[in-house]
Amino acid sequence: MWGLNLPIVLALAAIGGVLAWRRAHTLVWLLYTGGALWAFFRFGFAVPIPQSVATIYLGITGLALVCYASSSRERLAETVQPIQRLILEPRYRLALAGLLVALPALAAYNAYVDLTMPLEAPGFGREIHPPPPTELTVHDETIDMATAENPYLHYKHDDPELYGKHVENGRRVYYENCFWCHGDGMGGDGMFAHGLNPVPSNFNDVGTLPALQSSFVHWRIAKGGPGMPAGGTPWDSAMPAWEKFLTTEEMWDVNLFIYDFNGFEPRALGQH
Amino acid sequence: MTGHANRPTQAAATLAAVALLVALPANAQVDLGTEEQQAAGKVVYDKYCGQCHGDTGDGNGYATPRVKPKPRDFTTGTYKFRTTPNGTLPTDDDLRRIIEIGAPYTSMPGWPNLTSAEIQNVIYYIKSFSSAFENPDRYAEPIEIPRPLESTEESVARGRVVYEEQGCAACHGEVGRGDGPSAPTLVNDKGDPIRAADLTQRWTYRGGPTKEDIYRTFSTGLNGTPMPSYADSLEVEDRQDLVSYVYSLGDGDDPNYGTLITAVYSEEPIDLQDGETLDALFESAPMTRFPLVGQITEPGRNFFPPVTSIEAQAVYNRDEIAFRVRWHDLRADTSGRNNPSLEVPTWDEDNGIGGDAADDTGDDFFGDAGGDDFFGDFGGEEAPAEDDFFGDSGDDFFGDGGDDFFGTAEAGAGGAEFSDAVALQFPASLAPEETPELKPYFLYGDAQNPVDLWFVNLTYGVADTFRGRGSDAIEPTEADVVEAVTSYDQGAWTVTYKRRRSSRAGVSFAEEQYTPVAFSVWDGFNRERGNKRALSSWFYVYTEPSVEQAVAGPVLRAALIVLVVELLVVFLVRRRARQKAAEEAASGGTLTATEAPAV
Repeated sequence: MWGLNLPIVLALAAIGGVLAWRRAHTLVWLLYTGGALWAFFRFGFAVPIPQSVATIYLGITGLALVCYASSSRERLAETVQPIQRLILEPRYRLALAGLLVALPALAAYNAYVDLTMPLEAPGFGREIHPPPPTELTVHDETIDMATAENPYLHYKHDDPELYGKHVENGRRVYYENCFWCHGDGMGGDGMFAHGLNPVPSNFNDVGTLPALQSSFVHWRIAKGGPGMPAGGTPWDSAMPAWEKFLTTEEMWDVNLFIYDFNGFEPRALGQH
Repeated sequence: MTGHANRPTQAAATLAAVALLVALPANAQVDLGTEEQQAAGKVVYDKYCGQCHGDTGDGNGYATPRVKPKPRDFTTGTYKFRTTPNGTLPTDDDLRRIIEIGAPYTSMPGWPNLTSAEIQNVIYYIKSFSSAFENPDRYAEPIEIPRPLESTEESVARGRVVYEEQGCAACHGEVGRGDGPSAPTLVNDKGDPIRAADLTQRWTYRGGPTKEDIYRTFSTGLNGTPMPSYADSLEVEDRQDLVSYVYSLGDGDDPNYGTLITAVYSEEPIDLQDGETLDALFESAPMTRFPLVGQITEPGRNFFPPVTSIEAQAVYNRDEIAFRVRWHDLRADTSGRNNPSLEVPTWDEDNGIGGDAADDTGDDFFGDAGGDDFFGDFGGEEAPAEDDFFGDSGDDFFGDGGDDFFGTAEAGAGGAEFSDAVALQFPASLAPEETPELKPYFLYGDAQNPVDLWFVNLTYGVADTFRGRGSDAIEPTEADVVEAVTSYDQGAWTVTYKRRRSSRAGVSFAEEQYTPVAFSVWDGFNRERGNKRALSSWFYVYTEPSVEQAVAGPVLRAALIVLVVELLVVFLVRRRARQKAAEEAASGGTLTATEAPAV
């Protein structure tokens, strides 16, 4: 549910509940909070989140915990007191020795795992929506990217029948050309998607089509992977430059169709 | 069997069942849904299904000419994946199963976004396309699928005997790679060529990879295809043993696609002519499987490549590096021509679609290009810029194969027009340090960043090198000598390449270097040539260090650093405590001293 690994999240919450009920010591709370956050980022999500994101969050929350612990002289004293006792009091000598051995062992194990981890191909970041050019020339026709709109979109209100014909033509174009990668249901999960890197765009995603102007989509369709600036790693993209295969009208029609199918509207002009 | 106590209940159950049968004849199973349900199903169908299965259910949608296997024609009432006996109709659950999970490695996806009710409505609508579903005689009870056996050695051995006795190898091949002698000739009952399953790649089984799925296929057959039912000819136990055997052929449920070849170092010389030593050398190198998909980005598009993956490994010594690739192909085509730049006509032309051929096939999606004044150019790939890309549009395309997708009748008889081939692709030079992500265009490179192709036409079995600066700029090159040996065994091609690690003009393979690599495979039987190919995106080959990296050093260092920090903390805390105690003692001492006279 909500992309969470519920058993883990509930277990963490339960432990927190028990600690609250037993009025746990500040140090225990701090250790619990740090550990629980780590476990939450590591195991709490049904879909693994990027390591870098988890590291940033853990870094910030770690800093916050330190700030909390040192926010007043009393709290700091309360926090470090058990540690001082562990180090100073003779009756904890055994526990201290154990800790002195256990922590380096943990560090050694961590280093060993790091060193023996199976190799992975190097990965590089890329811009998902690279900046478009200011002008776009397709089949000798130049449009202004900032102001151009899908020329058939207005039929939706002016002439629904004609709009329907354009959408249907777009449907034909889509299922003759696009679904191998972008999928029958447009989830970016077509039958060839597993063999491509970057993966094909998911048109069901509310953060994709609705966030883009139809002129941007037209640019991506007409110029494809090779038409992207370097930030989009054009050499990896399998998106064809559809101007090689389709007429301008067909490209606008399929543009219309992918919005219509998903019930989305292109981002309006000047809207951010 | 159950004890005596259960007998009366059993008898009662049997009686009740008989009574039911008498009261309600077999048409109790006929459930076509209400008109409202069918209408609701039509809405879902028109949005998600009609593009392939046709708006009238005849399996003739927009995508149909370009997909393989063909979408189901719902007007026939013939279904491949059923729990019901051969020749009968599927249950609603059978239809639901395929709608939910799809058929792997076909154009039928699963539809997890549809609700249970939506799927049921679609099932009602699909059933309305064929009158067979109104006929009670066409229904039958699902077969019983027993709990699968453990794949013991004995069971697998018995299954092998069944496999041989039943002639499974005729289509599926001696070791199950879908390469039997009959494999190239197979067609379904609509006359469309189809392929025997590659039993070693369980993840591609259309009907599912589990033992239950396999047992079901043996017991019900795949209606409309040459795959028969063995319900009458094989006992349940025999079928279970056969399941054990077929399952044992499989290379896992999952293809475990990787992203990296790890090239391992060896002191040994690499001699391509010494097969045994070469095999031993590669034994130590990890094998990685990479996914292949159709080249559909540039003209010469390939919408249904039969080869869906390739395995690769690499070894290197002081001077040389060797790559070995392996893939499955139902037949070795070693008589035709092929090379990376061989021209391919437009897809429609190559497949007999458009012009007169369209009238012949009754295809109404591409044929009436000029007739429709609203949509204008219907011609698929006949784009305005077409002339720039296909120089040979005047050729006689229909003479060489017409509308076949998986080889012509002549091809089935022996010689194919195009030979099988494979290519490794590397960048001509490594990316500069400041832009490590930079690579040549994965489709044969680009003008700024060329690629080198190590191409083997399996007719000749030797490696030719090409330099690619884009799909329309591929030139033979002789800067480096690449050697190759090839073999075809029981449906599997193996090609081993060798080259000096350092190159005069191309990429050199230094130790601990990540080098981009991509693959292309051409299946001559599928008339693949030039840019009509199966290809991969960029992956990497990593040349593992020749000297094994010591693990002990870094591990000890990590432990030591932590220990030192710990000891430091303990030391500081204790010193502080001592100082405090000393201060207290000192101040206490002063106090004592000042108070002393009073005592």
